[in-house]
Amino acid sequence: MNTLARIFTGFIAALLEAWQELRIHRLRVLLSLIGVTIAVASLTTAVAGAQMAQQLMTEQLERNGRPAMISTYAMDPASQGPPQSSAEITAAFEKTSERFKIEYTSLIGRTFGTQAVRQGLSVGTEMQVVDPDYGPMHRIFAQHGRWLEDADAQNLSPAVVVDKTTLSALGMEDGTLPATIELRGLGGDVSVTVIGATSTRGYGSMGQMWMLPETYEHWFAAAAPLSDVSYAMWVPIEGSEELASHFARQMQAELPGYVVDSQRQDYLAWGNDESLKQVALVVSSIAGIILLLGSLSLLNVAMVTMKQRIREVGIRRSFGATTGRVFFSVMMESVVATAVAGGLGVLISVALVSNPKLINAVMATGLDEMPGFPVQAALLGMGVSIAVGALTGVLPALVAARVRIVDAIRV
Amino acid sequence: MSSAQLLKLENVTRSVRLPDDSELRILSGIDLTVAEGDHIAIVGRSGTGKSTLLNILGLLDRPTSGTLAWRGKDATKLSARQAAAARGRDLGFVFQQFNLLPGRTALENVMAPLMYSSGRDFWQRRRLAAESLDRVGLGARLDSMPQTLSGGEQQRVAIARALVRRPRVVLADEPTGALDVATGRAVMELLDAATVESGAALITITHDSNVAALARERLSLDGGRLHPLSQEAAR
Repeated sequence: MNTLARIFTGFIAALLEAWQELRIHRLRVLLSLIGVTIAVASLTTAVAGAQMAQQLMTEQLERNGRPAMISTYAMDPASQGPPQSSAEITAAFEKTSERFKIEYTSLIGRTFGTQAVRQGLSVGTEMQVVDPDYGPMHRIFAQHGRWLEDADAQNLSPAVVVDKTTLSALGMEDGTLPATIELRGLGGDVSVTVIGATSTRGYGSMGQMWMLPETYEHWFAAAAPLSDVSYAMWVPIEGSEELASHFARQMQAELPGYVVDSQRQDYLAWGNDESLKQVALVVSSIAGIILLLGSLSLLNVAMVTMKQRIREVGIRRSFGATTGRVFFSVMMESVVATAVAGGLGVLISVALVSNPKLINAVMATGLDEMPGFPVQAALLGMGVSIAVGALTGVLPALVAARVRIVDAIRV
Repeated sequence: MSSAQLLKLENVTRSVRLPDDSELRILSGIDLTVAEGDHIAIVGRSGTGKSTLLNILGLLDRPTSGTLAWRGKDATKLSARQAAAARGRDLGFVFQQFNLLPGRTALENVMAPLMYSSGRDFWQRRRLAAESLDRVGLGARLDSMPQTLSGGEQQRVAIARALVRRPRVVLADEPTGALDVATGRAVMELLDAATVESGAALITITHDSNVAALARERLSLDGGRLHPLSQEAAR
């Protein structure tokens, strides 16, 4: 029989022995492992919670623009107030962005004071006039219906996408899309067609609505010219600052008499938020202390138990168990036990962190999409529990391995 | 027909150092040859070194001086790993207090030595253990826990465990010491029959002359030395 097969058989046998030992002493093992389970559950929850919160926060922040988001304004120094919509400026932006081969671009214009009305219900909305690329650039996806497309500019009825707040306020949560609503405050009542609804929420009770520039121009611009117009570009982060600078200069050349300004507007431009990492560090430190105490308790029980098992070790040695095998078997008992405890801790953590109600209560937010449980956190929990098992198993294993057979059998 | 020699002790001594730094000699000048199929009884009063001799024969302990040959090779030069391998492969132990592993069934106790074997014996340990228990008449008690078995049954489990790896030598240390006379005799007859059947040598350490009388060769350990014991003396 070759050495590999012998080692494999020995390993399997040691695992079986360890499992048998744990099965026989399950109550003692269970009690001694409570601390490890709690600690691993805390540690995994802290790390997973922080990672998930980080991801959620990132997704929330990216709704204001995914990095790197360059915002461009063109202002006429002679005029007062925010930049107005102008075909000349839009043409200059499109020409320049084509020259720089920028894939994702969108005009962004806003109007306030619009009322959305349906069957006696109404809600104030912020109207955003955007191109179809705005959706992927701001992590906005339609949960019902669909997002805006270029072809919507040709629709006979103005196509709009609304947010969840608007949908709820108009009593359309359970209805099917497309649906017709009335818009007021843009120079008379205009019927528009809601083609999609997003999970994105506005602030407070105000709803949000998105419409294509061509649609706005055709139906509303005459009565309410679009103000506060800017142009957004989603570009690779690397070199984005230089690109913004070059882009502004190039567009400026296309628009004599205007002042063009381009700059990064995404959250990364102001640096990362490290606060979550600090929370995770504090919770992990507390979990580490619990783990240490749990490990000491485990070690204590294991040492006392080993003293009571000296005769058993002697008997096994008389069967032919080598010193190495006794050491490995005893250590495996500890490793298998803590691995089981750690697995339980990770499961508890998954149950806690994957519970939307609990997360919403803790984070005081309403999540529309739960991020998955981070695999790294589960692996960390399992790794830590196995490491604790190995560390707390070494001392009892040494005691067992150093037993003199003759003395052990006499005990 | 000459049987193959398994163990040979020549002028073996065993001493221990006491706390006051003096030396206590337990065995001195022990000569013994054990061959396949032998049944040797070693009798002696308590404290005469019977268990020490058994430990040396079972490769659990080493002589202070003298030579110990295991299957023709100097056993004192075996590494701990080699000695463990030889114990597992060729030696079976039966103890006075049965030494069954607590919390494990009869079957699991008999399977225990097979956990240290490799190859087919390891993977077929359940079948081999069940067969071994069946041979000692406990085929119906496989799942019984030690505490639910009588003393005689526990010792039979211990015998099944000692024989499960088909050893060449079975070492029994006061195997009937914890049993009544009738049960002890039945256990010894079973042990003798089982070793005869397998061709293993049986060395019994006892202070019971009735148990010694069952052996084909009887020796007395007195003053640290072995002496032949006549049939009459054994009785």
